[in-house]
Amino acid sequence: MRSLLGFVALTLAFAAGTLIGWWMVPATAALWGALRPSIGRPAFVAALASALAWACWLVVDVIVGHGTFGVLAARLAGVMQVPSVGLIALTLVFAGLLAWSAAALGLGARDWVLGTGK
Amino acid sequence: MVPLPMTQPSPSLSRARIALAAVLLAGLGYAGARPAGGVPALGGLLDPAGGAWALARSARHPARSSALIPGLTAPVEVRTDDRGVPHVFAATEEDAWRAQGYLVARDRLFQLELQRRATAGTLGEFFGPGALEADRAARRRGLARLADRNAERADSGSLIARAARAYADGVNAWIDAMPRSAVPLEFRLLGRRPTRWEPKHTYYLFAQMALTLAYEDETLSRLRVRALVGRAAADGLFPLNSPIQEPIQPNGQGTPRYDVVALPPPGLPDTVADLASRERASIDLALGLQPRRRDQTDAIGSNNWAVSPRRTAAGNALLAGDPHLELSLPSIWYEIHLHVENGPDVAGVTFAGSPGVIIGFNRNVAWSFTNTGADVRDYYVETVDDPSRPSRYRLDGEWKALERWVEVFHGTRGESLGLDTLYATHRGPLLREGARWMSVRWTPFEAVEPGAEFLILDRAGSIAQWLDGWKDYIAPAQNGIVADRGGSIAIRSTGKFPLRPGDGRGDEIRNGSISSSDWTGYLPLERYPFAQDPAQGFLASANQQPVDPRMNGSYFGSNWYSPWRALRINQILRADSSVTPESMRRYQTDPGSARADAFVPAFLAAAARLTLAGRADSALNRAAILLGEWDRRYTRENRRAVLFDRAMTALARSVWDELIPPDERKDPAARAVAYPEEMVLLGLLADSASAWWDDVRTSGVERRDDMLAAALRSGLVSAERDLGPPEGDGWRWEQAHHANVFHLLRLPALSALELPVQGGPSTLGPSPGRGTHGASWRMVVELGPEVRAWGIYPGGQSGNPASPHYLDRLPRWLDGTLDPVLFPRSIEELPPARVRSALSLRGGR
Repeated sequence: MRSLLGFVALTLAFAAGTLIGWWMVPATAALWGALRPSIGRPAFVAALASALAWACWLVVDVIVGHGTFGVLAARLAGVMQVPSVGLIALTLVFAGLLAWSAAALGLGARDWVLGTGK
Repeated sequence: MVPLPMTQPSPSLSRARIALAAVLLAGLGYAGARPAGGVPALGGLLDPAGGAWALARSARHPARSSALIPGLTAPVEVRTDDRGVPHVFAATEEDAWRAQGYLVARDRLFQLELQRRATAGTLGEFFGPGALEADRAARRRGLARLADRNAERADSGSLIARAARAYADGVNAWIDAMPRSAVPLEFRLLGRRPTRWEPKHTYYLFAQMALTLAYEDETLSRLRVRALVGRAAADGLFPLNSPIQEPIQPNGQGTPRYDVVALPPPGLPDTVADLASRERASIDLALGLQPRRRDQTDAIGSNNWAVSPRRTAAGNALLAGDPHLELSLPSIWYEIHLHVENGPDVAGVTFAGSPGVIIGFNRNVAWSFTNTGADVRDYYVETVDDPSRPSRYRLDGEWKALERWVEVFHGTRGESLGLDTLYATHRGPLLREGARWMSVRWTPFEAVEPGAEFLILDRAGSIAQWLDGWKDYIAPAQNGIVADRGGSIAIRSTGKFPLRPGDGRGDEIRNGSISSSDWTGYLPLERYPFAQDPAQGFLASANQQPVDPRMNGSYFGSNWYSPWRALRINQILRADSSVTPESMRRYQTDPGSARADAFVPAFLAAAARLTLAGRADSALNRAAILLGEWDRRYTRENRRAVLFDRAMTALARSVWDELIPPDERKDPAARAVAYPEEMVLLGLLADSASAWWDDVRTSGVERRDDMLAAALRSGLVSAERDLGPPEGDGWRWEQAHHANVFHLLRLPALSALELPVQGGPSTLGPSPGRGTHGASWRMVVELGPEVRAWGIYPGGQSGNPASPHYLDRLPRWLDGTLDPVLFPRSIEELPPARVRSALSLRGGR
């Protein structure tokens, strides 16, 4: 239960941070890693949570856009010369990788400071 | 579904994994923050809360919202209708312009930025070194520098100064309050931020329009041709007066007059003209001015016409206008209705960046413009003290100081891309070509308060007021047509037309060392081409020569557009004594072609004569049969227009082969240095043995019928090769020719390309060449007891590609239909079902 709550809290933190800017994703993830939460595979969890947070934002875009999201996806994908689905996937993967790498570095930094690294 | 890991202490990561994470984060961070290899910065683009995805959220305006605009003196209410058109209800004109700036910025922010940068020569700051040459040309033209000066010196109480300031207040209010999610896509793709709008940028906009509409003159074309075939032939090929007289100012003749004279044969090359043409071409290149290509003839043109009540079904005056410009997404036009309490109540279209309405109507009058195409630019060879680093120029035996300044060009990171030292004489920019220096004088340089007249026109209550409102207008010269509710119609070609010494013509390069070469003034208003309530009951303009030279010998320009569109609309209006708004709409996309009416019989007659003489082959006979089947209409499904189109291209290329430089003539793709107007070719048809018919690339001597037959045959061969058999779908006009509406950045994914369209070269709804130009706005207005209007442009009100109004009008534009334009006197008069959003604007901050 604590894991789930932690995951939800982290997802909300990513979602809220993104309101400020995309760079809040690695910042939040790094902090998450540095705090070394009592949860298994924290970097992986951070990746999942950030991708989920961005997915939620995409859903908001879909809902608030009232039918305009599909047109936007098609045109944006055309500009980037990738399929629409590929661009959405790229969005989520980008968030996930940002969070994973930053969380991993946060973990590593903490270990280095505490001298507990391998 | 990925299961969540069990709760347990986090294991330490291996150094390899940390290293991988560091590299990955650095790479992602870089890709997120910086564009690389043509890929935009991914962070700002993919961020779903404030990046490009968020544009979906701002694609529709909120049903109800409010905003603050500094300086607003009273609340302004805006209602946007289901066509995306804002109706602005304001207490004062300034407040209306503030609201307009806000709305245009909301819908067209990137367009505002791009336009002003193009004029200012600061595209490099957005696009990098690739834009340096365009920036250099813009700075050499110096229009922004002059606009800066004019804006600075303007009387702060003048109409244009007040309007530009108010407009800037509105634009900047939007920029300041704009949510991150609403930053236009183009800024994200380029990794740039919008910059603030200054009042002088409105001046820039009008300078840019002058560049589009008033840069063309025929000096260079004539010089190039003179260099190859001598002066007499060049003067015949690029005549001062149109050989087909169907002028804008009616000349009392019920039919067109053909003033065809024999074309002098090709003469000896003129080496002096050769040198001058090279210099002139070089100067034009430096200024970024290119002569139009043959396939773009008629691209920048327009139609307008008005019909008196006695020739309309309902007894009300009718007016139609459709300016032909480069088609773009978003459109060059923005539609708006401005209602000011006890002030103007005006609707129509305007440019992004321009306060008020440019083409439109108010409660009393309606108006539209076509380009006059007047010759308003001259070149002067100057004598300077030091050809490598001049500081003075010679005038009437005395040295005068040159204006000299340094332009610095910046790149995307603010780095310097280069420096240019520029010069100007009292005439205008001074440019170097080889050892010689030339200065340029151009009427747009003299426009101190550009755009002010359009604001006055918005207020006009009658034709007299409307005409008076722009009597001092300078550039670009326009044929302004107007109709009022009192049943009057009028047209006047307005703009400053320079008076030159000597023969008065502006198609020679002049000696700059004497002031007697300078313009001596401007043509007085009473000599402008003008007509009001003519006996024929209608007025029409389509970029033809504005006045019959037998009625008014003033010099306005030369080598006028072939009047095919003018012939067609006059023919139609003469035949219709009961015109309705619906028929006006239909005429705007009429597929008939006066050009085809002129040339098809010539092709068929040539083929018939050769058949009679036993000199026709089967290909020619087949081509003639196919062309004879054509109804001379450019409808979408038409299967014969392509044959004519290709035959005409082949004919021009083969007849004007003398105008291809001799060393290029063996190259089948070589082009003439300039192509005469097709009406000159039409005149040549009367002279079957003219030396121009001979193809100098062959050993024999060809005559008219040989060349017409060869062109027709060539048209058939190329059409069958490229499009398949004549009965196949490949020959359908909509398959062979398309309209192409490019996005401002020419990104195909944001453009509307290969669109089936009715109309072809020189039809009333023209679609010449590559289909990139055409009717940029079509409007019909009925001036009855209540003014009613209809309009359409290819695109939509919003520059946001996610918006339902990004290109929602395009299908209707392609079909030739018009939208009824809402023109309420109050918010309450707006049908609630058609209101999509309400915006309340208040002063503050």
